[in-house]
Amino acid sequence: MDQTAREMDSSEDKGEDAKPQGSGAPAAKGNVIELSKVRKTYFRGKEPVEVLKDLDLDIPTGSFEALMGPSGSGKSTLLNLIAGLDRATSGVVKVAGSDLGKLSESARTKWRSQNVGFIFQTFNMLPVLTAQENVELPLLLTRLSAAERRQRAQTALKIVGLEDRMDHYPRELSGGQEQRVTIARAIVTDPPILVADEPTGDLDRDSAEDILDLLVKLNREFEKTIIMVTHDPAAAERATIVRRLNKGLLV
Amino acid sequence: MRAISLGVRNVLRNRFRTALTILGVAVAILAFILLRTVLSAWTVAADFAAKDRVVTRHKVSFIMTLPGKYVADVAETPGVKTALLSSWFGAKDPNHPNEFFGTIAVDPHKFFEVYDEVVVPEDQKQSFFAERRGIIVGSAIAKKLNYQVGQRVTLQGTIYPGNWDFIVSGIYDTTRQSVDKSSIFFHYDYLNEWAKEKRPRAADQVGWIISRIEKGHRPADVAKAIDTKFDERDMQTLSQDERTFNTSFLGMISAVLKAVDAVSIVILAIMMLILGNTIAMGVRERTHEYGMLRAIGFLPKHLVLFVVGEAATVGLLGGIAGLVISYPIVEQGLGRFLEENMGAFFPYFRIDAKTPPIALALSILLGVCAAIIPAYRASQLDVAASLRKIG
Repeated sequence: MDQTAREMDSSEDKGEDAKPQGSGAPAAKGNVIELSKVRKTYFRGKEPVEVLKDLDLDIPTGSFEALMGPSGSGKSTLLNLIAGLDRATSGVVKVAGSDLGKLSESARTKWRSQNVGFIFQTFNMLPVLTAQENVELPLLLTRLSAAERRQRAQTALKIVGLEDRMDHYPRELSGGQEQRVTIARAIVTDPPILVADEPTGDLDRDSAEDILDLLVKLNREFEKTIIMVTHDPAAAERATIVRRLNKGLLV
Repeated sequence: MRAISLGVRNVLRNRFRTALTILGVAVAILAFILLRTVLSAWTVAADFAAKDRVVTRHKVSFIMTLPGKYVADVAETPGVKTALLSSWFGAKDPNHPNEFFGTIAVDPHKFFEVYDEVVVPEDQKQSFFAERRGIIVGSAIAKKLNYQVGQRVTLQGTIYPGNWDFIVSGIYDTTRQSVDKSSIFFHYDYLNEWAKEKRPRAADQVGWIISRIEKGHRPADVAKAIDTKFDERDMQTLSQDERTFNTSFLGMISAVLKAVDAVSIVILAIMMLILGNTIAMGVRERTHEYGMLRAIGFLPKHLVLFVVGEAATVGLLGGIAGLVISYPIVEQGLGRFLEENMGAFFPYFRIDAKTPPIALALSILLGVCAAIIPAYRASQLDVAASLRKIG
C-alpha cells in the first residue's frame, strides 16, 4: 500500500499524464481473468435456473471488454463472479492470480478491496458525504493516515476532472459528475481491474460520452483492465473487445 | 473522516424523521425520569423524618385506635420528653370537594412541643389555644382553599360524619420538610366531645401517639421501652422512630411503587421499539448502499458498527433532549406543584442525582439494543442481491 501511495503521490505531481500502477496487476502481460467451465445455478423456489453454463473465458491484462446480451443472459452474474461478489456453482474463477472459489467470504471481501474497483449504474454515493469523502471511503479500510487518504482522494478526483467539486455533496452534482465521483472512488485504491455495470445507463448521451472517454483513458493511460456490462451499442463500441452472452453461453 | 463518523452522520440523513425519533426518545426519557423521581421522592419523604420522634400505634394495624389513657403512660416512659395524641379525622371542604388534605386532631399545646418545626405567629398560636374550634392550616392548602385567619369554615367529616364548624386560628409554615404544608390540625377535645355524644365507642380513643425524645436517648431504645410497657395490656403497641414509621407507609404502597417501577421499564421498552423501527427503516432504505460498501471491501462488522453507531447517537441525542426538557418540567413545574399540594407524600420532588446518568446510559444502551436486529440483518445482506435492489 505504501508503494501505491507513493505512486499516487507522484501521479498528482504529473497531473493527468500520471499513470498509477496496479498493485495487484501481474507484472507481465497475460490473462488477468481466467474462467474455466464456470457454471452458476440459482434456485427459483425449488426450481434450478442455470444462468451460466460451462463458461470458459480469458481476459488479457489491460483490455477493455464490453459484455452485451439480452436481459437474463447472465451478464451481471458473470460480472459478479469476476468481481468476487458471488461464487460459481462449479468451475474455476481465477482473477488477478487468486482462485476466488477457494477464498472465504472475508478473504474475498479483502481481495475485492485490493483488486477491483466498482462502477455502478446508480452511482451509489452516500448522500451524507462530500465527493471527496465518498472517494475516501475505500481508503478507510487501509492503514493510511487521514492526510494521506485526503491526498489520494483529491488525486483521484483530479484524474476524473472534478478537482473543483471536492466539497460538493451528491445532491449538488449532476448525474455525469456523480458517475465521475464513483469512478474516482473505484480507482482510489489503484486496483488492476474495474468492473462497470451499465455505467452510462442513467446518463444523457453527452454525459455518457464523457464517462466512456474517461474509461478509455483509464484503460489506455492507466492500464486498467475494464469489464463493462452494457445494453448500449454505442458504449460497447468504445471497448476493445465486445463479448456477447446468450442464455448463459458466450456467442 | 473516520469509519465511526459515517454512522453518526447518517443520523442527519432524514432530519425530520430523526427529529421525531429524538423527540420520541426524549418524551420517553422524560416519563422515565418523572417516574424515577416519584419513587425517589417517596423515599426522600421518609428521609426527612425527625430523628428525635417516636410514633406509637396499635400493634395490629395503623387504622386501629389506642386507648387515650395510653398517652399518659407513654409520656411517663423514660426518655420521652413529650407525648402527643393524634387522630385522623378525614374531611373535605364542600366548596373544594376535589382537594385532598389531611385533618388531624391533636393536643394543641403539646403539638408545638413535639413539632417545633411548625411555625405560627404567636398571636395566631394563642388564638388557636383559646378557641376550641380553632384550626391551624398549612400555608399550601390555605392558599388553595383561600382560607384567611379568622375565617369561619365548615368541613364535611368523612369518618365522623356531619358538618363541622371551625375557625381558622392561624396559618402555619415549617422550618423543615418533615411536616407538610397541606394539613389542618384542630383540637382533639372538639372531636372527642362529639364522639362521647354520638359515637361512644370512639370516645377517648386516639389514632397514634408521637413522642419527642429527650437528648441522649436512642429512639430505638425508647420505642422498645414503650412497647414493653404495653406488652401485658389488652392492646399491644408498635413503636417506631419516625423514619421507620414513614417507611412502613411505603411498604403499604409497595404494590403501587412496583407498578410505577414496571411502568418506567415499559416506557423504556417503548422507546427501544421507536428507535428500532426507525433504524430498521433506515437499514431497509440503504440496502443498496450497504451492498456497495460490502462490494468495495467493508466487512459485515463494519456495517454493524455503522448501524449501531447511528442508533447509539440517536439514543444519546434523545437522552440529552429528554434531560433538557425534564429539569424544567419535573423540577420547576410538576415538582413545585406536588411539593405545594401533596407535600405529605412529596416534600422534596427533585430529580435524584443518580437519575440523569442512568437515563443517559440507558438511552444509549437501548439504542444499541434496538439496533441489534437491523444491524444483524444489514451484516447478513447478500452483496450481489442487495446491489440489484433499488431503494
